[in-house]
Amino acid sequence: MAHIHLEDGAFTIFWVGVWTLIAVLLLVFPLLKLGGRNIPTRKLAIASMCVAVGFAIFQVEIPVFGGIHINLTPFIGILVGPSLGSLVVLVINVFSAAIGHGGWGMIGANTIVNLVEVFLGYYIYRAMRTGVKTGRFTAGFGAAFIALAVSAFIVVGIVTASEIQDSTQTRDETFRNMLVLAAANLVAAVMEGVVTGYIVSFIGKIRPDLLADSERTEKDKAASRAKEGTPNV
Amino acid sequence: MSRRSYSKHIPDFRLVTHFAEAGQSLLHRVNPWTKMALLGLVVAFVIVLMDLYLIAILYVATIAFYALGRLPLRLLVGWYSMPVLFVVTISVLFMFTEPGRELASTYLLGQRVAITDNGVLLLVKLLLRALAVVTFSLAVFMTTKYSHLSQIASRVLPQSLANVFLLSYRFTFETTDEMSDVIDAIHARNGNLVRGASRQTRLFAGIFGLAFVHAFERAERIAKAMEARGFTGSFPTGETLSRPGVGGYIVVALTSLALAAVAYSRYVEELFAWW
Repeated sequence: MAHIHLEDGAFTIFWVGVWTLIAVLLLVFPLLKLGGRNIPTRKLAIASMCVAVGFAIFQVEIPVFGGIHINLTPFIGILVGPSLGSLVVLVINVFSAAIGHGGWGMIGANTIVNLVEVFLGYYIYRAMRTGVKTGRFTAGFGAAFIALAVSAFIVVGIVTASEIQDSTQTRDETFRNMLVLAAANLVAAVMEGVVTGYIVSFIGKIRPDLLADSERTEKDKAASRAKEGTPNV
Repeated sequence: MSRRSYSKHIPDFRLVTHFAEAGQSLLHRVNPWTKMALLGLVVAFVIVLMDLYLIAILYVATIAFYALGRLPLRLLVGWYSMPVLFVVTISVLFMFTEPGRELASTYLLGQRVAITDNGVLLLVKLLLRALAVVTFSLAVFMTTKYSHLSQIASRVLPQSLANVFLLSYRFTFETTDEMSDVIDAIHARNGNLVRGASRQTRLFAGIFGLAFVHAFERAERIAKAMEARGFTGSFPTGETLSRPGVGGYIVVALTSLALAAVAYSRYVEELFAWW
């Protein structure tokens, strides 16, 4: 597993509330950017399809190193961008809670972790493609690995701050325990990074237009909009 | 029913839907609002309860609830794999570092590590809490029809979120079937003989990449079809969802009272303990 879903009962009601509130605040901006209540039908359909595919892929076990499951959240960020990606990971977390992969009360905490993956996946990929000018595989691998590595430490931060219910350990002790988990997650992040790199390379060969948004700078996008005469939305 | 499930560890959405649509148990006849309210209360219970015996009783109660729906217990055991993995991953180190009476010890890389009773207790409590919610949640979704779930989603979620939720639910079946077909085709062409981590990873990356490309193409077609049919931002619902009956209200009220009592004994008494 490239990242861990937190299950119900691990945190106190206070921390469940705190993480839910933070997740809601983080989701307000992408939702407003997408159009609030009036999300365009095309974006609605793309987000829904990405949820469905993300779910289907999660069910497939890749037969390497004894079998791994991947989430592809950084890749979803690369493909659909941070705004739509935020909506996708939220719905994936609701579905996941329904089948027990992450708690209902933990949707907030799990969504924060996934939002970090989506945002970093998109922005790092774009920076590597447009700034550093790397190839697609390198950019995909780098974006997914860094996003998952950071999100692993976000999990450490969330669990350390919240502390596990029933545990008598201090925050320092909890932090040290969780660091071991983060180290293990880094190995999984390398694997998902490689898969993401290959997927991005594959899509780049057969449908490069799908990656166009994450391979252009803001300046290029503005120029393209001006050329087409479309408003800056 | 699913043509072929990929994994014994992950609930198959087709199977879940099959039980929800075809089941005839008492639980299938319970009002969906009542079941959803009880799900919320179970989540609150696992957060508030601290006593191991009470948590164990809650877990047994959720198993009984699941069995009441005449749902397969054997499948449930397989579906526990992932939640158990998540809980163990988070809490396994606490088993060794939690202060308490040592149960067993060994030397690892020259360091002495010992499992403590409080560490084991912590793991057991977290497992029971997580599994109680998983069991109840699956029982609810395996006994509630899609049309009812869609109405609840439309009522409780913001419209755009409800739309994505409902569309995704429908698309899930198609995408899982498609991926299943591609994997079958690869196996039929001796793809399962491919060896080496790099080649295997590249092979599966191609499958996943193709799934996303097809998803984009299908989404664009569906969006055009929706607009052509006058989609106005909300999906029409076929049947109306009735309110819970008196029995439903009584069950929810009694469960809420029990939760209030547990919450009182944990929080309010703690709050006034100094006095």
